[in-house]
Amino acid sequence: MNWNEHFPALLLIIPLFGAFLAPVCSLGGKMARNILLVAASFLTLVVAFLLWRSVLANGIQYYVMGGENFRLALPSGMALPVRIILEVDAFSAFMALCGSIAAFAGALFSVNYMNRFSGQSRFTSLYLLLATGMLGMMITGDLFNFFIFIEISSIASFGLIAFWRDKPSAIEASLKYTLVSQVGSMLILIAAGSLYGKYNALNMAAIGSSLTMGTMEKLALVFLVGSLAMKCGAFPMHMWLPDAYAEAPTGVTCLLVAVSQASLYGLMRVCFSIYGVAMGSTFVPWMIIIFGLASMFFGVSMAVVQHDIKRLMGYHSVSQVGYMLLGLGVGLLVLGDARGMADFGFTAIKGGVFHVFNYTMYKALLFLTAGALYYATGKKDLNEMGGLARRMPYTTFMFVIAAAAISGLPPFNGFVSKLLIYESSFAVHPSLAVVALLTSVLTLASFVKVFQTAFLGPEKNNLLHVQEVPPAMLLGMVVLTAAILGATLFPSWTLSNLVEPAARALVDQSGYIGAIVGGGM
Amino acid sequence: MGKVYTGFGYWDVGAWILFFAVAAFYILWLRSQGRSDYKKGTAQDEIYWSGNEVPEDGADLTVPASSAYWGFRKALEPFYKGLLGMHTGLPADVVGYYVLTVAVLAVFVLLV
Amino acid sequence: MIGNAPFFVVGVLFLMGLVSLFLSKNLIKIAIAISIIGSAVNIFLVSLGYRAGGTIPVHFLAGEGSTMVLPTPQAMTLTAIVIALATTALLLSLIMLVWRHYGTLDIDEIRRLRG
Repeated sequence: MNWNEHFPALLLIIPLFGAFLAPVCSLGGKMARNILLVAASFLTLVVAFLLWRSVLANGIQYYVMGGENFRLALPSGMALPVRIILEVDAFSAFMALCGSIAAFAGALFSVNYMNRFSGQSRFTSLYLLLATGMLGMMITGDLFNFFIFIEISSIASFGLIAFWRDKPSAIEASLKYTLVSQVGSMLILIAAGSLYGKYNALNMAAIGSSLTMGTMEKLALVFLVGSLAMKCGAFPMHMWLPDAYAEAPTGVTCLLVAVSQASLYGLMRVCFSIYGVAMGSTFVPWMIIIFGLASMFFGVSMAVVQHDIKRLMGYHSVSQVGYMLLGLGVGLLVLGDARGMADFGFTAIKGGVFHVFNYTMYKALLFLTAGALYYATGKKDLNEMGGLARRMPYTTFMFVIAAAAISGLPPFNGFVSKLLIYESSFAVHPSLAVVALLTSVLTLASFVKVFQTAFLGPEKNNLLHVQEVPPAMLLGMVVLTAAILGATLFPSWTLSNLVEPAARALVDQSGYIGAIVGGGM
Repeated sequence: MGKVYTGFGYWDVGAWILFFAVAAFYILWLRSQGRSDYKKGTAQDEIYWSGNEVPEDGADLTVPASSAYWGFRKALEPFYKGLLGMHTGLPADVVGYYVLTVAVLAVFVLLV
Repeated sequence: MIGNAPFFVVGVLFLMGLVSLFLSKNLIKIAIAISIIGSAVNIFLVSLGYRAGGTIPVHFLAGEGSTMVLPTPQAMTLTAIVIALATTALLLSLIMLVWRHYGTLDIDEIRRLRG
């Protein structure tokens, strides 16, 4: 039996099974539950890695759920794939790999971090459910299933954001997210329904193969783009994001970063693989670029004035998502133009995709260091911290690496992806690169502020009892630090093995469609 | 290692690491030139804080984070006033900005 | 023209939900507004599945007709209803906790997180 073919299903089954096993496992005590949490997320990571390897070696993989044969995409005698299909190309596999690294690090971190609180069986269950929803969004090949997985991840994250339900602010953050996310999901469902009504198919590849632009398609595109941009926190729709990120338990915030990347994945899948060159006008690409610029600049200028550490980092998430939207938007702008694509478009897409990896790693790490500070000092306000570098040397070291990476200081990996984005967006219009550079400067400014106020300076008398955090939390952070340093020291390896196949798969619309509906319909 | 070509130039991490190694060596050398024969336990050993007595608790001599970049905030006051005024924190506004954005985009995409 | 009536109803219902989402101040009413939006979308999905002259997609007892409708929209609607049920329950429990912490259901009072 060849296991390679079953990886897409296994990737979802392992965390889903773990989620439902968690209440049973909790009967065996704390230890059993923690082992389940770490083991399930580790196995998911292993499967995601093997899936990525096998996709790189064998091309696009698909898996048919509920058919008599899992390789049978098209039932005999029918022209449309009607079944529930998981379709994994290099881009999906890349995203699933990033997401599961963050999920694993968050799980390791949560083992110690959540130790002081009750209700951990529910936490474990929801955490693994959130990971399932995230991975499902990344590998599904079906528009309605995408909606299902987005709802699974949303519902799990509503519960997890409000996990400390004795804190009014956590309830408030969760309520805001629930309201905006429900309206957003309904618009996604309307878009999926109207595409179904027009093309009699929910399969992304089947829709993409026969799509021609009309009024309904334009509206569906706007609904999908708007809602998914809201889910990943683009500027005028980002207000839920700092609230939710700041109030969720830290291990969860680490995973929420990856979940927002899943929404970004959905956005890119819709734009590149379903609509692609059929999009016609350059309005939507410019819209994505403008979303990117606005998120970058306004997100970071809000971050500069924050003094709650996790809220500050939440606003940075808004601004970092802007970089990816800018890079991928520039790529989308020249999708139909072979010369522009060769000149700068592909570089922009590579930059955007590389930034997804970098952002997931260093942002998750930054949130984990913020959580470590909270665990050690019991404070979230930067005004009350100071001089912690002497007490928490390992956390400080990892914070410095992550902060340097997010600010795009050479030689860290954040610089490489930002460089690719700067140079390619400069070719479209210099002002795009100017905004991106300015954002980078302000990012550095606000992280200098965090570093100076939390870690440097004289020790405060009420913080003299502070100790370094326990080993499992450090281990969670080390996983992400290793990923950052790996991408820093071997940028050309990372680019050619991790990023380029993903970028190429993203651009290759006919390949994505051809794997399912084969040979044109 | 190797170089990353961006299409306009290239990025070489090795050169930068070399640069940092040289810079670190120079900084450490500079530091080693400092005098180590100062008199311990005398006034030479004390922290100079504008001639004032250094407070016991570190909390009394740190600048709090919300005062950092005061000048920056002051200079951009109108900008920040507008931006902070937009973040009202009302749930209706959170949903409202989203619905408004999608509606505006829908109108534009149908017109274009 | 009459065939498009369901879509007209969907539009009206959706806008009603959206308007009451912004105009009502009570959180319970806002939860109801979100349910109305969800129902509008469900009606949209069901009416997409209607085909003139089609019968139910069941092998037995299907009646005389020879053309069956594709059951996908019905399956979608059922799933969407289940999801809407889950989110409504969650929303109501969050509202309950808001009441406990803030002592009010006025949506304008729930703004401790801002700026």
